[in-house]
Amino acid sequence: MKVLLFGTCLAGTFRESIIQGAVRALQRAGAEVLIPRGLTCCGQPAFNAGDWEDARRMARHTIGVLEAAGDVPVVLLAGSCTAMIRHHYADLFADDPAWLPRARALAARTYEFTEFLVDVLGVTDLGVRFPYRITYHPSCHLLRALGVDRQPRALIAALHGAAFVELPHADECCGFGGVFSAEFPEIAHAMLERKVANIAATQADYCLTADPSCLLHIQGGLRRAGVPTRMLHIAEVLGETWQKG
Amino acid sequence: MDALRQAVRKALADEALQAALDANAERRRAARERAHATLPEPWEVMRGRAAEVRADILAHWDEVLTRFVARARANGFIVHQAADAAEARRIILDIVAAQGPAPRLVAKSKSMVTEEIALNAALEAAGHRVVETDLGEFIVQLRHERPAHIITPAVHLRRQEVAQTFHDLLGMPYTEDVAAMTATARRHLREVFLQADVGISGVNFGIADTGGICIVTNEGNGRMVTTLPRVHIAVMGAERLVRTPEDLALMLELLPRSATGQDLTVYTTLIHGPRRAGEDGPEERHLVIVDNGRQRLAQTPLADALRCIRCGACLNACPVFREIGGHAYVGRHGEPTPYPGPIGIVISPGLFGSEKFGNLPYLCTLCGACAEACPVEVPLPELILRARAPQPATRHSPPATRHSLFATRHSLFATRHAPPFRSFLALYARLATRPHLFRRAQRLLAAATPLLARLLPIPFLQGVGVSEETGIANEESGITNEELGIANEESGIANEEPPFAIRHSQFATRNSPFATRLTALDGEILPAPDMTTAGEAIVRFLQREEVTEVLAWAPEHLPAEVTAALQRAGIAFCHGEPAACRVGLTGAALGIAATGSIVVPSGAGRPQAASLLPEIHIAVLRRGDIVPDLTTALRRLDLAAAGMTAIITGPSRTADIEMTLTLGVHGPRRVVVVLVG
Ligand code: SF4
Repeated sequence: MKVLLFGTCLAGTFRESIIQGAVRALQRAGAEVLIPRGLTCCGQPAFNAGDWEDARRMARHTIGVLEAAGDVPVVLLAGSCTAMIRHHYADLFADDPAWLPRARALAARTYEFTEFLVDVLGVTDLGVRFPYRITYHPSCHLLRALGVDRQPRALIAALHGAAFVELPHADECCGFGGVFSAEFPEIAHAMLERKVANIAATQADYCLTADPSCLLHIQGGLRRAGVPTRMLHIAEVLGETWQKG
Repeated sequence: MDALRQAVRKALADEALQAALDANAERRRAARERAHATLPEPWEVMRGRAAEVRADILAHWDEVLTRFVARARANGFIVHQAADAAEARRIILDIVAAQGPAPRLVAKSKSMVTEEIALNAALEAAGHRVVETDLGEFIVQLRHERPAHIITPAVHLRRQEVAQTFHDLLGMPYTEDVAAMTATARRHLREVFLQADVGISGVNFGIADTGGICIVTNEGNGRMVTTLPRVHIAVMGAERLVRTPEDLALMLELLPRSATGQDLTVYTTLIHGPRRAGEDGPEERHLVIVDNGRQRLAQTPLADALRCIRCGACLNACPVFREIGGHAYVGRHGEPTPYPGPIGIVISPGLFGSEKFGNLPYLCTLCGACAEACPVEVPLPELILRARAPQPATRHSPPATRHSLFATRHSLFATRHAPPFRSFLALYARLATRPHLFRRAQRLLAAATPLLARLLPIPFLQGVGVSEETGIANEESGITNEELGIANEESGIANEEPPFAIRHSQFATRNSPFATRLTALDGEILPAPDMTTAGEAIVRFLQREEVTEVLAWAPEHLPAEVTAALQRAGIAFCHGEPAACRVGLTGAALGIAATGSIVVPSGAGRPQAASLLPEIHIAVLRRGDIVPDLTTALRRLDLAAAGMTAIITGPSRTADIEMTLTLGVHGPRRVVVVLVG
C-alpha cells in the first residue's frame, strides 16, 4: 500500500529522527512510503492563534500538495496536525463551496501514525526489541480530539522486552498548547512541572508519546528538573532511529 | 506588563490558592466520576440528549421564551425583560425602592447573572444593604472579594483565612472549627432572612410548559430568600430554558452530578408564582429575564455556548484554571469577568465584547478536558478557537496586497500581547506557502535553537536535541525528506473510515431503595408498618428530643392517627413564633427512590416554613408514594398547582469552607422520614 507521509513541520525542523523512524516502521509494516515534495506546515499554529486567513492559505497549500501527490492515505506524525486536517479544515472552508469538498476529501484519507499502523495496516508487533522500563503520555489531541488511545497502547504493549508502567494522571495536559506556552510560559511551566513529577514517579527510562510538540515540551521540562527519563516518539522506537542519552 | 499576565503571576505565586485549587480539582474530578456511575443511563447517552434539549431551545428560542413568559404571567409572576445590564439594574432598583425608603435589607442567594449585571454595587449605591447568603458568597462578600468559582465561590480560601474574617467582622472567637464557623454564619444569616424586605435569587431553569422556575441549592438559603421575604425577585439569563418537566428532570440528573458530584442537590425548588390563598411565601414574585448580549451571541459562531447550564464542570476539569483560579481571568485593562474557566473565556468576549476580553481565549492549551466533562456537549475547544479568530468562519478571498512576505497586519497585533511571537507566526504562515524558503527557514531555526533555548523561557526549545539520533543513514532507508519525487498515478485504495476508539463511561446499577439512599446522605428513617405506629414513633422521637411544640402542617393535612397521637402526648402545634420551633412536621407527596428525596409541595395549611426553618424536619411518607426516579416524580406532579414545590434530598449541607462537609447550614440539620407501610 502506498502512503503519503506528512512528517509535520515541528518534526521536520527539530527532530527528523521521528520522520525517519516513521518511514522505517511503515516500510516494515509493508507500506510504500512517499514523502511529497513541498509539504510545509498544516496551518495549525496560525489557526490556533486565531488567524484563520493565514491558516486558510496554509491549508490550501497543503491540500494542493497532497492532491497532486495522489489519492492514497496520508499519514501524520502528530495528533494535533491530524485533528487540524480532519476536523478544522472543514471549519476553515465552511463557507467556501470550492474548497470545502477538497478539504473533506483530504480529511477522509488522513490518519495519525499509530492509528494507521493498527487500524489500517493491522499491525501491532513490528518485532522491535526495547528492553527498558517505559511509560506513555497520551497527548491531548490524540486522546480527545481523535479518540486514539487503544492504538498507541497496543503498539507499546507489543514491544519486546519492555516493562510498561502506567503514567499517573496520564490524560492531563502537559501545558504545551502551541501558542499557549509562548504566551503564558509561567502557566505552561506550572503544568509541565506536574507532568514531569508524574513521569519521574514512574522511574521509567523512556516516556513514549505520539506528538512531537508535547515530546519536546516535556523533554525540556525533564531536562530542567534533572529527571533522567527521556522522551521518545513511538515512531522513533518502532523505526529504531533513536539514540541513547 | 499587561494586567492579565500580572494576575496570572500573582495567582501562581499564591501558595494558599495553589493548595486550594489542587484539592478542588482532584476532589471534583473524583466526585464527578463517581456520580456519573449512578446515572440511570450511560453518561454519553444522557449528555447527548441534554445537548439536544438545549440546542432545540436555542433553535426555537423566541417561541419558547414567549410561551414561558406568558405562562409565568398566568401563574402570577410579574415578568420583566431587560435588554442589558443597565436596564436589569434599573428594574430591580425600582422594585426594591417600592418597598419603602432606603435602606432596605436585601437577602441574596447565589446568582451568576446578578454578578454579571453588577447588581450589588448598584443596590449599595442606592443606599440599600445587600447580604449574600450562600456561605461561600457570604465569606467572599465579608472580605470584599469576588467569587473565585461559579459554583464554589470561596474555593480560594483556607479555613484560617475564613476564621480570621469571622473573628474580625462577626466578632466570633477565633476558631478553625468549620462546624463552629458554619453555625455562626447560620445564626447571623437567619436574622437576615427573617428581616429582609426583598429576596433575590438566580434561576437555574425556566420551564416553558408550566411557566415555573427551578432553583437548586444545597444550603437552603435559596429556599429562604424565595420563601421568607415579602417580595422575591428571580433574575434569570434569557437562555436558561427547558420546555417540559421531563426535560427539566434530564437536566437535573446532570447538573448536580457535574457541578458537585451529587446525584441531586439537597433543595430543588420549583416555583410557580407568588403565595396562593392560605400558603406562606412572598406576596410578590418578580421575574427579571436578562438578555445582556445573549441574542447577539446567538447570531455568532459562538452560539453553542448558550447551551451552557453553568455547572462549572469545565472549570474543575481545566488544567489552566487549576493553576490560576478564577480571579486571574481579567480583561485587557484588568477588568474582572464573572465567568472564568473554559466557558468563561468564550462567553466573556462573546457577551461583553472582545475589545475588553479578547485576551482571554488564549488562556487555554486546547487539551479538550473541558468538553469531555460538559454535560450538554458544549464544544468548548472549537468555541475557544473561534473566539480567538477576529472574524470567525466568514468567507474569505485573500486581498491582493497580502503577497509581501513581511507584510504585517497592525490591526491584528495592536490589540494582542506578545507581539514578537505573533510576528513570528505571521512570518511562518507566509513561509509555509513557499516550500523552498520554508525548508531553509526550518534549518535556520533548528540551528538557532540552542541559542533561543537560552534566551526564551519556553521548555519546548530546551527539549530539542535530547535522544535524537542525528545523521541517521538516509541512504539506508532510501529516502531523503526533501528530494524524493513521487509517482502520481491513481492507486485505487479504498478510503475506509478509520474505526475510532470510543471511551465508555462505566455503566452502573442503581435504583437502590429509598432508605439506603437517604441514609447515605445523612438522612434518617423511622420505619412504621401503619399510621398508628407512625404517630407513636413520632411522639417517642419528640419526647427523646424533649420537644413540646412542632411547627407543622395544619392537622387536617396530616394523617389523623398522627395528629391524634400528638394531641394525646400533649404536643402543641406552634403558631406564634415559627422561627423558635426546633422541629418541623410535614407530609410528603412523593418519595424518589433513586435519590432518597422527598417531595413537599406548598398549599393552604401546608407551610413551606415547616420543612425549612426548624433544626429537625420530620416528614411522613407512605411507602406507596415512592416513585423510582425524578422523571416519574415530575411527570406525576401538577407543578403549577402549588406556589412552591420543594424536592428535599437529605439535610442542608455545605462544603464551602475548604470543601469540608457541614450539615445544617441554613435548612434543617436533620431530616427524619417516617416511612409508613
Ligand atoms: S460549558 Fe458545560 S461544563 Fe462548562 S459550565 Fe457550562 S454546562 Fe458546565
